[in-house]
Amino acid sequence: MRAFLIVVIASVTLAAQTAGPQVTSQDQLDGLKDPTRWLTNGGDYNGHRHSPLTQITPENVGQLAAQWTFQTGTLGSFQTTPIVIDGVLYVTGFNNNAWAIDARSGRTIWRYRRELPEDWRGCCGAVNRGFGVLGDRLFMTTIDAHLVALDMRTGGVLFDVELADYKLGYSATVAPLIVKDKVILGIAGAEYGIRGFIDAYDSQTGKRAWRFYTVAGPGDPGARTWPQGDAYLRGGGSIWVTGTYDPQQNLIFFGTGNPGPDYYSSAREGDNLYTTSLVAIDADTGERRWHYQFTPHDVHDWDSTQVPVLADLTINGQPRKVVMFANRNGFFYTIDRVTGKVIVAKPFVETTWAKEIGPDGRPVLLPGHLPDEDGEKTCPDLGGGTNFMSPSYDPTTRLFFVTARETCATYYGFDQKFKPGDQYTGGATMRPRDQKNFGALRAIDPVTATMKWEFRYPTTSAAGVLTTASGLVFAGDGDGNVMAFESRTGRNLWHYQLGFPMRSTAGTTYMLDGRQYLLVPSGSALTAFALPQR
Amino acid sequence: MTRTLALVPLVVLAATGLLLAQQPASVNPAANNPHLGNPQSIRSGMALYRISCADCHGLDAGGYRGPDLIALLAGGVTDERLFQTIRKGVPGTEMPAARELDTSDNDLLMLIAYLRKIGTVAPTETPVGNVEHGATLFKAQCVSCHRVAGVGGRLGPDLTRIGVARSRAALTREIRTPNDWIPPAFEMVTVVTRDGQRIRGVKKNEDVFSIQVMDMRERIQGYLKSSLQEVIYEKSSLMPAFPAGRLSDGDLNDLIGYLSTLRGVEQSAR
Repeated sequence: MRAFLIVVIASVTLAAQTAGPQVTSQDQLDGLKDPTRWLTNGGDYNGHRHSPLTQITPENVGQLAAQWTFQTGTLGSFQTTPIVIDGVLYVTGFNNNAWAIDARSGRTIWRYRRELPEDWRGCCGAVNRGFGVLGDRLFMTTIDAHLVALDMRTGGVLFDVELADYKLGYSATVAPLIVKDKVILGIAGAEYGIRGFIDAYDSQTGKRAWRFYTVAGPGDPGARTWPQGDAYLRGGGSIWVTGTYDPQQNLIFFGTGNPGPDYYSSAREGDNLYTTSLVAIDADTGERRWHYQFTPHDVHDWDSTQVPVLADLTINGQPRKVVMFANRNGFFYTIDRVTGKVIVAKPFVETTWAKEIGPDGRPVLLPGHLPDEDGEKTCPDLGGGTNFMSPSYDPTTRLFFVTARETCATYYGFDQKFKPGDQYTGGATMRPRDQKNFGALRAIDPVTATMKWEFRYPTTSAAGVLTTASGLVFAGDGDGNVMAFESRTGRNLWHYQLGFPMRSTAGTTYMLDGRQYLLVPSGSALTAFALPQR
Repeated sequence: MTRTLALVPLVVLAATGLLLAQQPASVNPAANNPHLGNPQSIRSGMALYRISCADCHGLDAGGYRGPDLIALLAGGVTDERLFQTIRKGVPGTEMPAARELDTSDNDLLMLIAYLRKIGTVAPTETPVGNVEHGATLFKAQCVSCHRVAGVGGRLGPDLTRIGVARSRAALTREIRTPNDWIPPAFEMVTVVTRDGQRIRGVKKNEDVFSIQVMDMRERIQGYLKSSLQEVIYEKSSLMPAFPAGRLSDGDLNDLIGYLSTLRGVEQSAR
């Protein structure tokens, strides 16, 4: 009898351990192979945001119709990419909120809410860009600079780790990147004189495995690019957009943020490594393999926190492993991801600050673009040629799709006294009165860095892009429309007015009950689209 | 980083607030401002001004979208009132409150020290004209498009509070050369329908697929661009220019004199 009881208890325990969904490291490597799932921020480790699904096509996309809407009932806008696992959506939102939602009906299953400290302050809204997932755990950074692990079935907290002190201006918004058993993330807050870093944590214990500082300090060869003294301690270098991973090289790639203070050059003479750079880091140790700095000594707040998109291309007859990068500074780069050397780089929007990217990979600067108290006009504006909105790469057409911004600003720079916890930008910008900004969806050939087509928007947009194997591009304008385009030509095929523009993402797509869904976050709502049921 | 697109509204010092946000605090920090005249404080105040205020009030504080602060300072506003207006903001306008979490009392006092420094020179304003004659001119020339206290047209901006929203220089510019800057939602368009009907009016909104228009009869209507032949964007404002040959300097002075009396209406009077 006793032996029987033990067996029963053991069976129940085993059942409890395996009843829920389990996401493995192999699942992460497989990307979007299972069409019912969307497991990583960029869809796969390459950051393609390209789905193999083909039920929605250029021929039938015009019939796409809303199926349900989920409203958060809270203030603040989504910048999240929802995770999809076995019919359930896992979604992070504004002010440290998160939800598990029934993907069939849009009804809430559980809600997680972390109290925001009353004295928290941040430059740019209490946003969050999504979960990472491994096993039966969800991983979320919080705006007050913690990492929490949640039970996927209940939203209950499994561990809670402080990344840095939010009272000193540190914050976290990035969706964690899961590599093997590690949760990889970065810290934000460069407007507050922070020192940025990328961290890896053990997914089971929450113990920190390694840290890479995006601002070089004593002992690092990059320290020479900062003035002597303690300027590096407030040197910025935020991380707020998820990176990508190359399993063959065991390298993770992250774009790093602007140096601090943002605009005042004299506070930090030198190149200011490793800010506004692409860094290639060993996933196990956190050691830097190589770096490429897009904007040495940036003075225009041009964070390089865009998605480093990985692909294998044939260039001049040679197979090349590359990373493609549409940068906030207005240039599009195709870079060798083994060596870190630029293969080709050209502007994809109007740029007035640099003539070109020279053979040594450094921008050839044009005079008159150092902000001072009198102001100087530069294109693009501080929002950049593009920004945190995710691009997409379609390996079939070999086209890179990006939401581009055509903008200019007058930049001012001046000395500002640093006070821990206070904003530390050393300047400001204004939009010239006669400046007509606009946006566009652009298709770029990464082999030549030239534009193949564009679709213009009357105003700028911060929406991301999603592509599918059926030859569709989903994107959004700055006025609340989600749209579908033919990927080869840029022909607009469908649109729907959401009531608020998408920001950061163009959503996800997945199969459920034999139907392909398009799930779009905008404002404080999620809207699910599908073709009419036959 | 994300200060880019997050678009936290910049601090706007609306003159309206100087009239509305007047509750005298029992101890107003500005009553005893240690930073007045201190060069280092003034420099810090300048930085704070440029970061938080210049976008709306102009780099020289002469007014841009927001009111002319130099004129306000010359008009005798007290430091205590300035402090309260910046701290509390002005409800119903673009001027947000400067929360204590973001901006300390000390920062506000340095900002006021800077404003006092640049506001010591009185602007060379010409004397106020004949307000009654200005009102007559307004009724003859302006009221068909501009509304004041519920009376007048709707095609142009409502001017009920224009006296606290625009400096004399800005009003002069906008009357003499209105095409220099056309406010959003007042740009002229003509939409041509598929059957050839032409509808002219001011554009209220627009996206890739639709446009929203108030036509010359003040009817508001949206159009799907797929149902239109053409949208014609006009470069000039519906507001005619009034050069000196059409409106003498004296008449302009009278008209502005009248406009500067337009400072809102009591709710009960509406």
